[in-house]
Amino acid sequence: MNPFWSNIFHKKSEADSLISFLRSLAIFADLGRREMNFIASLVHARRYAPAETVFETGDPGTGMYAIRSGRVAIFIRHPDGHKEQLAVLGPGDFFGEATLLAPARRTASARTLEDTELVGLFRADLLEATKKHPNVTNAILISLARILSERMQAAEMEIRQLRAALRLSPPPAGSEEGNGLP
Amino acid sequence: MTPKPELTRVHLLLFFFVLAAGIAVGLSLFSSASTFLTLIRTATSGLFLPLLLSLIASFLLGPIVSFIERENIGRTLSIFLVYLLVAMLLLLAAGWLSPHWHEMWNSLRTDLPRYTAKFITLLRDAQDNLQSRFPYIESYDLTGRARTLAEQFVAQILVGTPKSALRIGSLLILVPLFTFFFLRDGNLILRTCVSLTPNRYFEMVHDLSSVVSRQMAEFIRGRLFEAFIVGLVVTIGLSFTDIRYTPILGIFAGVTNLIPYIGPLIGMVPGILIALVDLGMGGQFWWIVIVYFLIAQVIVDNFILIPILISRYSNLHPLWVLLAIIMGGKLYGVLGMIIGVPVASIIKIALLEIRHYRNTFALPDTVQDLDRPA
Repeated sequence: MNPFWSNIFHKKSEADSLISFLRSLAIFADLGRREMNFIASLVHARRYAPAETVFETGDPGTGMYAIRSGRVAIFIRHPDGHKEQLAVLGPGDFFGEATLLAPARRTASARTLEDTELVGLFRADLLEATKKHPNVTNAILISLARILSERMQAAEMEIRQLRAALRLSPPPAGSEEGNGLP
Repeated sequence: MTPKPELTRVHLLLFFFVLAAGIAVGLSLFSSASTFLTLIRTATSGLFLPLLLSLIASFLLGPIVSFIERENIGRTLSIFLVYLLVAMLLLLAAGWLSPHWHEMWNSLRTDLPRYTAKFITLLRDAQDNLQSRFPYIESYDLTGRARTLAEQFVAQILVGTPKSALRIGSLLILVPLFTFFFLRDGNLILRTCVSLTPNRYFEMVHDLSSVVSRQMAEFIRGRLFEAFIVGLVVTIGLSFTDIRYTPILGIFAGVTNLIPYIGPLIGMVPGILIALVDLGMGGQFWWIVIVYFLIAQVIVDNFILIPILISRYSNLHPLWVLLAIIMGGKLYGVLGMIIGVPVASIIKIALLEIRHYRNTFALPDTVQDLDRPA
């Protein structure tokens, strides 16, 4: 994007806006200007048409996507064919970050709802960058670990609450939908 | 059914014209395509070798550049630093070799015919021996053929070396330039190519391309390092004897070591021949044979280097190796023979990675197919 003999006074507004977008993401919040420049060279910006599949359940997952503009629906396809929508994400949200570190299949599907611009960060690039700029990838990984552990704690709290609710609820609910619960 | 006889003549004419037009269009398309292809071929004919060499060089220098880059030095500057380092090393090597070089070249010029003559007498002795034992074998003019071949070979070396110096000169300019851009923008070039894939397959192609290119880089680095070590071992081993041309023989053994199975055998022919002519069948001769076979090939290469550097993963079946060498030789001569096997191994690595990927993960389209019947 930046040829050897390009005009050094001509700043690319596209690259600048990409950097300012990346800066607004929670994962890259702690990084400085120089590191942001490096990350901007690491990510892939891609455009999606409305109702285009980003990934399906079971796809090999290799990284995360952040939404720069547009909206993305996250859903699960049930065996009987009907879709259960889990979330609709908008600009500034990101998804798929669980597979950034460990190779795994996607556990849900993602599909765009309108013209959407996504910014992808993938494991291969992150691993490659670890060799060159360990400090930058360190910062990314630490904030990623923080986000993941926050999510895990939230999920644990939720599980605990659900368990508590389950323990309390069976006697009244048993008459209505007792056959549905194991 | 009634209009059928009426229509036939007109239809036949029409059919004939359509067919003729189709053939004409096909022919013109074919000829224009073939002229276009020949244009492309002539335009890119001299580029294959420099591009390949600079790709290899950039694979070799890439880790060093990345290492320097870690110290917060810009990529361009780190490439220049690496270039400076390499230039200094080359200058040192040239300074070390140049006093011997001229002398060596001159004596080689007189010695080469001597070695080939000796080789031919050896061959004739062997044939005579064979014929005295098996007299019913028809006398085949092996020595005559070998002599003409050897004379052609020697003439080619003596005349061709100054001629190819010109080509080497153009390589000396092109390869560093190409290497510079591959080192600087290689990732960007790969990224741009990968970014052309459709959204649905982008993630997979991106991951696969990174895995394949990493394997490829490891393979090329491993092979070159292996060749270097084998050449070094041969050089050191030969320097214990009185044999001449030790550096040339070492380099030759290293370069031919890039070809599996056949290369090492070719690599030891000149060394053993020179030893036989100059030193006779003494203790030194057997030491040289041991250096070539046992130390360089068996101990260093097979027991130490190959298990460490090159995974079994990229090993080709000997049949594929032979086919790759023959086809490479047909396409690009001796150079093709050296390149053929690594190229075949790289193709194998790519195919294996893709298969591995398919086995570990269901590909996107198959997933959708699985969804439908359920």
